[in-house]
Amino acid sequence: MTALAAGVAPAVGLRRATRAYRAMSRAAFRSLVAYQTSFLFGLLATTLAAVAMLYLWRSVLAAGTVRGFDWPAMRAYLLVAFVAGSLVSSYVDYRMAGRIQQGDVAMDLVRPVDYQKSRFAEALGFGVYELGTGLVVAAAAAALFGGVPAPARGGVVPFAVSAVLVMPLRFGIVYVSALVVFWTRNYVGVQSARIALVTLFSGGLVPLAFFPGWLQGLAAALPFAGMASTPALLYVGGLSGAAAWRAVAVQAAWTAGLWWLGRAMWRGASRQLTVHGG
Amino acid sequence: MRRNLWLYRRCLGAQLRATLEYEGDFWIMSVAALLTQGMGFVFLWAIFRAIPQINGWRFWDVVLIYSLVALTEGVAVLLAQGAWTMAVTVNLGGLDTVLVRPFSPLLQVLSSQIGMNGLGNLVLGGSLFVAALVHVHATWTPVRIATAALVFACAPLVKIGLNILTNCSAFWLKTPWSMFPFAFHTLGELARYPLGIYGLAVRLVLSVVLPYAFMSYFPATAVLSLGSAPWLGLLTPVAAAWCLLLGRWAFRRGLTRYESSGS
Amino acid sequence: MARIEADDLRKVFRRPDKGPGLAGSLRHLVERRYTEKAAVDGISLRVDAGEAVAYVGPNGAGKSTTIKLLTGILVPTSGEVRVNGIVPHRHRIENARGVGVVFGQRTSLWWDLPVRDSFELLRDMHGLGAAEYRENLDRLVEMLQIGDLLDSTARRLSLGQRMRCDLAAALLHAPPIVYLDEPTIGLDIEVKDRLRTFLRQVVAGGTTLVLTTHDLGDIEDVCSRLVIIDQGRIVHDGGLRQVIETYARERVMHADLASRPVSLSGVAARLPGATVTEERDGLGVAVAFDPLAHTAAAVLSALQQEAEVVDLRIEEPAIEDVVRRMYAGQLDAAPGERTGT
Repeated sequence: MTALAAGVAPAVGLRRATRAYRAMSRAAFRSLVAYQTSFLFGLLATTLAAVAMLYLWRSVLAAGTVRGFDWPAMRAYLLVAFVAGSLVSSYVDYRMAGRIQQGDVAMDLVRPVDYQKSRFAEALGFGVYELGTGLVVAAAAAALFGGVPAPARGGVVPFAVSAVLVMPLRFGIVYVSALVVFWTRNYVGVQSARIALVTLFSGGLVPLAFFPGWLQGLAAALPFAGMASTPALLYVGGLSGAAAWRAVAVQAAWTAGLWWLGRAMWRGASRQLTVHGG
Repeated sequence: MRRNLWLYRRCLGAQLRATLEYEGDFWIMSVAALLTQGMGFVFLWAIFRAIPQINGWRFWDVVLIYSLVALTEGVAVLLAQGAWTMAVTVNLGGLDTVLVRPFSPLLQVLSSQIGMNGLGNLVLGGSLFVAALVHVHATWTPVRIATAALVFACAPLVKIGLNILTNCSAFWLKTPWSMFPFAFHTLGELARYPLGIYGLAVRLVLSVVLPYAFMSYFPATAVLSLGSAPWLGLLTPVAAAWCLLLGRWAFRRGLTRYESSGS
Repeated sequence: MARIEADDLRKVFRRPDKGPGLAGSLRHLVERRYTEKAAVDGISLRVDAGEAVAYVGPNGAGKSTTIKLLTGILVPTSGEVRVNGIVPHRHRIENARGVGVVFGQRTSLWWDLPVRDSFELLRDMHGLGAAEYRENLDRLVEMLQIGDLLDSTARRLSLGQRMRCDLAAALLHAPPIVYLDEPTIGLDIEVKDRLRTFLRQVVAGGTTLVLTTHDLGDIEDVCSRLVIIDQGRIVHDGGLRQVIETYARERVMHADLASRPVSLSGVAARLPGATVTEERDGLGVAVAFDPLAHTAAAVLSALQQEAEVVDLRIEEPAIEDVVRRMYAGQLDAAPGERTGT
């Protein structure tokens, strides 16, 4: 693969590769549109879970503010977390795990494009669709439960940066967990374990402020907080000033870290693949 | 009836043997189930650290409801996971061989798989269930114990019946990959919390249209004498029978329009 | 006594006319439009006890659909069907006790279980007694030579091994009727021969057999009656020999020669009506002939007049070829009218 890439003049190769990745994004987007009936039922499932959360929190906060959250702020928090959680939630990992289990991944090894970037390009394609539907559902839910306040003033810039980072960060977790299939051969279990960890420690169901101090510290240091809690808190003004930028920095560090972890795992896995065969 | 039960056990047993060949899967799935249910518990615990009760339900009351969903899921996954294979079995023609064996096709389908995450669900759900029973404020009279035994035993049948019903959509949707029944499974998870927190429409759906609330909330109200109408929980056996009959009805309707595959 | 009685059986499949994507699906909800196709279109059939029937036709003719109607897998759109005196799709379990079914492309064995475990599950479903099971199994194991396979899981078997085990599974309860849907598809010659021998024994034992196939050899070796179906209708029902004599008279003899023949036209002159063509760069000859006009021995002797024959084989027309030609009206239905070409 590297030998092949090195043989092409860098500039030409780069342009050609960019075109290839863009084509992959488009193909991913189109395949989601083609299977949208199934996708929409999946979306219905996550929507139902989100609606349950909204109802639950409405009851919890009926008596007044708890841990700094009143009901409108909690609505905004949960819906931002919901949209963030809908990204990279479909197909990328299924496809990867399926190809690894079937051994088809051996064919991906000889393609003249980077495996990880290709998957990321696909995730972007799916992401456009996921973001669109996620926003529509969130808007509908907001209307049903009485609106959502505007983003906290002063927090708009860090929120925007954090929101952009959500997608590559979530991709990192999903990609790494799908690669685990090289060693476990089972994906359903890995996936549901990952979803459980992400759901709790991203603060998507319950703001991390509800945890005892030691657990809050742990959660803030783990990669999961950046997948929902950080952007949602920035939106409602739960983080500001230096704390806001510190959270975004942790998010960015994990994004880069997971990208390189993914690279290292892929190298290990493909070495194993070329030694033992697919 | 006895023959059916015996054959069902035979099929499940054979499936268990086949499943145990993949020991690694067993551990991964068990750990995943423990994590999934454990996270839900931590979630409840985090909320109740901040407030003493929701709509009159205290922490351990809600844990009881929650544990019933986990137990129900564990039983359904261990004993009737085959319902989830229907989309594939029906739409890739696998039902053909089932239909030419002299044993109820529905029971064959239900016993065609064992969920390896079932044990994890049962272990965690069971622990939470016992802990909740110890902590809830209830005086354990013989009548209450008998009531509890009856409604808790019937609760998993509600879920199994509804699993069959929603998965029978395979006969109509005609695709081997459908998220349809999964969407309803998620709807069922709304029954993890006291029904009173929801709006009227959601309450009606969960108690009448697709009565998932009878696998957890209603049985709990009957045993704890909580909520607006605890007597409703005594209808759990009726709800269980109704859901199973609905499932069987849908499967039979589906069979009349089964088209196998190819020519 | 009729084991299988089908009367004007029809099965219509409905396919929705849907546009692509969600928009198409939504439009379909409002404006339901379907294309209807009759896969089986008015079939009447009686099969008596002990008969062996070959059920053939081109792809998509409705063979498998008929078998699925007879076995109760599909519910007919209209018409009547009775097997062993009961309506199969209404009494599936009772029906299953009296029939054995093998689908060539699909196994009825439990994929992850040893074959023996699959057999024992079937034993329990059929409620066979220990002695009866032992006896049937021993006989099948011997006839199909599957003794070594009983302890491997079904997914580890080769196609031929799996097919033998599937046949045993279908016959464990000694059913009076056996349906085989493409039982020899994808198998090599040796396995095919073994299976055909086995099927002959089964039929000789008084079992009623219905098999669909693409393979003329299956039919000739096993069956006495041939039913040809095309586009969901029966176009021929009768003795096998008669059909072959009538529609598939032409044989082709391929001969390998030691040297180039003296003259091809010389061969042709000795065999009026036959077509002689050169093969293998002149070291082979193909003679297409009508067996009623010339015996194979006569063809061979004609060849030997012109060259030394090293090896030969006789090729018979494939049944689907016969069906296709018959349907296109190229062949006459009545025997004896055909004149030499």
